[in-house]
Amino acid sequence: MVDDGTGLMVETRGLVKRYGKFTAVDHLDLRVRKGEIYGLLGPNGAGKTTTIKMLCGLLKISGGEAHINGKQVPDGRIAAEVGYMPQETALYPGLSVHQNLAFFGSIFGLTRREIEVREKTLLEFIGLPEWRNEMVGNLSGGMKHRVSLACALVHMPPLLLLDEPTVGVDPELRVSFWDYFNEIKNRGRTIVITTHYMDEANRCDRIGFMHDGHLIAEGKPDELLSLTGCACLEDAFMSFSAGGREEAER
Amino acid sequence: MKMPRFLTVTKRVFMDLKNDKRSLALIVIAPIFVMFVFGLAFSGEVKNIKVVVVDLDEGAAGVSSAPLPEKIISNLDEEVLELEYADGREAALEMVENGEAYAAVIFPPDLTSSALSGMADGSPASPVSIELLLDRSNINVANAVTKEFNDALLATVEEAGMGMPVKVDATAVFGENAKFMDFFVPGIMAFAVYMITTLLTLVTFVGERTSGTLQRMLATTLKERDIVLGYAAAFSLIGIGQAILLLLVGILVFDVTVVGNVLLAFLVIALLAIVSQALGILLSSTARREAQAIQVLPFVILPAFLLAGIFWPIEAIPAWLRPLSYLVPPTYAVDASRAVMLKGWGMGKIWIDIVALVAMAAFFLFLAVLSLRTRKD
Ligand SMILES: Nc1ncnc2c1ncn2[C@@H]1O[C@H](COP(=O)(O)OP(=O)(O)OP(=O)(O)O)[C@@H](O)[C@H]1O
Ligand SMILES: [Mg+2]
Repeated sequence: MVDDGTGLMVETRGLVKRYGKFTAVDHLDLRVRKGEIYGLLGPNGAGKTTTIKMLCGLLKISGGEAHINGKQVPDGRIAAEVGYMPQETALYPGLSVHQNLAFFGSIFGLTRREIEVREKTLLEFIGLPEWRNEMVGNLSGGMKHRVSLACALVHMPPLLLLDEPTVGVDPELRVSFWDYFNEIKNRGRTIVITTHYMDEANRCDRIGFMHDGHLIAEGKPDELLSLTGCACLEDAFMSFSAGGREEAER
Repeated sequence: MKMPRFLTVTKRVFMDLKNDKRSLALIVIAPIFVMFVFGLAFSGEVKNIKVVVVDLDEGAAGVSSAPLPEKIISNLDEEVLELEYADGREAALEMVENGEAYAAVIFPPDLTSSALSGMADGSPASPVSIELLLDRSNINVANAVTKEFNDALLATVEEAGMGMPVKVDATAVFGENAKFMDFFVPGIMAFAVYMITTLLTLVTFVGERTSGTLQRMLATTLKERDIVLGYAAAFSLIGIGQAILLLLVGILVFDVTVVGNVLLAFLVIALLAIVSQALGILLSSTARREAQAIQVLPFVILPAFLLAGIFWPIEAIPAWLRPLSYLVPPTYAVDASRAVMLKGWGMGKIWIDIVALVAMAAFFLFLAVLSLRTRKD
């Protein structure tokens, strides 16, 4: 990975998304460093998914700018460096687990051999090795979610944009997911993750609280706790939300 | 060797089909089914029409040959007309009125005598007429009956050596022994490929949109045009496959004769498939759910059914409606593949159709790509 000098993997400046008159993301300044796990938190409708879609080039940016690994969005070269896991499952139900993985792998130019090797590790990691040839349509909701995550990882991109990757995944498996996230982080990858689980927020290097399209607080989990004097992130988040925007000005 | 990116999409469409027996059945069985239904039921020829004959002819004195009505009847095609006999005009008329027969024919008492006397003294015969009472509520049937009697009369007159002073001498330039199915197969080929390709892409693409896989693909290195091209490649191959299948069934079951270059016909069908799949993608942007997609189908299928010249020539469409025919993609494919298969025409003569199809393909592909781009707003 070529370092562009800033040490930032994701940087947005005054990022805005408007749907007609409604502003879903409002002057968002986000900085995600290379090699960190960044958690994006916020209530339903805060603008997390909208932000991630803009970073992926799936939504036109209404104002401000976004940079990924030093390239300004939109840029055709970005896609190869990003693994995107959408909030909805987004798989082909009529294809097997293997065929889904192979399709997304082949898009990135992986050879059959490379796909096989990665598939083995990934299936191991999502705990579905014996489901390789099962139609995705026949899997349970949580299993589909796991396959979807594997599809985002198949080409080993330096940046992962994961929109609620652990929804519907059982607690035991969630723990092993986080072990895996830390493992790939230690190999130099950057992960931006949205979640509603506070225990997961705790495991992020840094978190950002979003509310009504604004970033109202940002920092390491323990920093945010001491800032609010709260015992747990859940309460901290409540106090930020209540405090509203003045806090964010600071 | 590196595969062009869009081919990954093509490959996936085929993988999907391999697992999806129902769509596969639609592709393989539906066109053949359509062909059988229309081929068997709608052969374009009317048959077994009930006609009542009232023969009042009294013959002519001193003539040994058979009376005229008998000769005329022997010249009728027994497959087309099914004859019954009645004693008088009243009875026959009643049968037509009651729907027991489509027509009644009345040979007058002086038919043979006046016809022969006219011939004997060389002077124009005093005109004698054969009365035909027709149920014209069914135009096709009525026309067929009229034509049968005119033909039979003409043949009888010629046999009797009473030749017409002027007659029409028709020679087939193309399609010497063409049957209705020969005319019909190219049409049904185009129609089936158009209908099934549009339907399948429409439904598949609404799926891509609603499940989020379209977004997921667009977040990868695939561009909008790769996706559209990938689908185009897949469905043009599928279209050619369907054309081959239909042609085989046409030749083996319906004894269809092909005089031209089949490969050229396949090129035409492939172009039509590309237009159709682009149209399917385009239409998918108007639907949020599969059920909504089905609602637009009549607007795709009916114009093609009525206006593309599949069942009847475009010339049979009212002049004011005809310009619409030229907006319906299958029109060009039907015209071109028919010209190739029936008349043996080459590229030099069907190039206008090809240009029209290529232009339509380019236009719809462009719009399809555009419809994927505008999603980002
Ligand atoms: N296509 C759209 N048109 C209009 N408004 C939209 C559109 N997509 C999203 N929104 C609105 O933008 C806001 C932000 O939505 P977004 O999906 O980014 O929220 P989120 O933070 O991801 O929420 P969740 O936690 O429920 O996933 C919401 O109020 C939503 O209603
Ligand atoms: Mg969301």
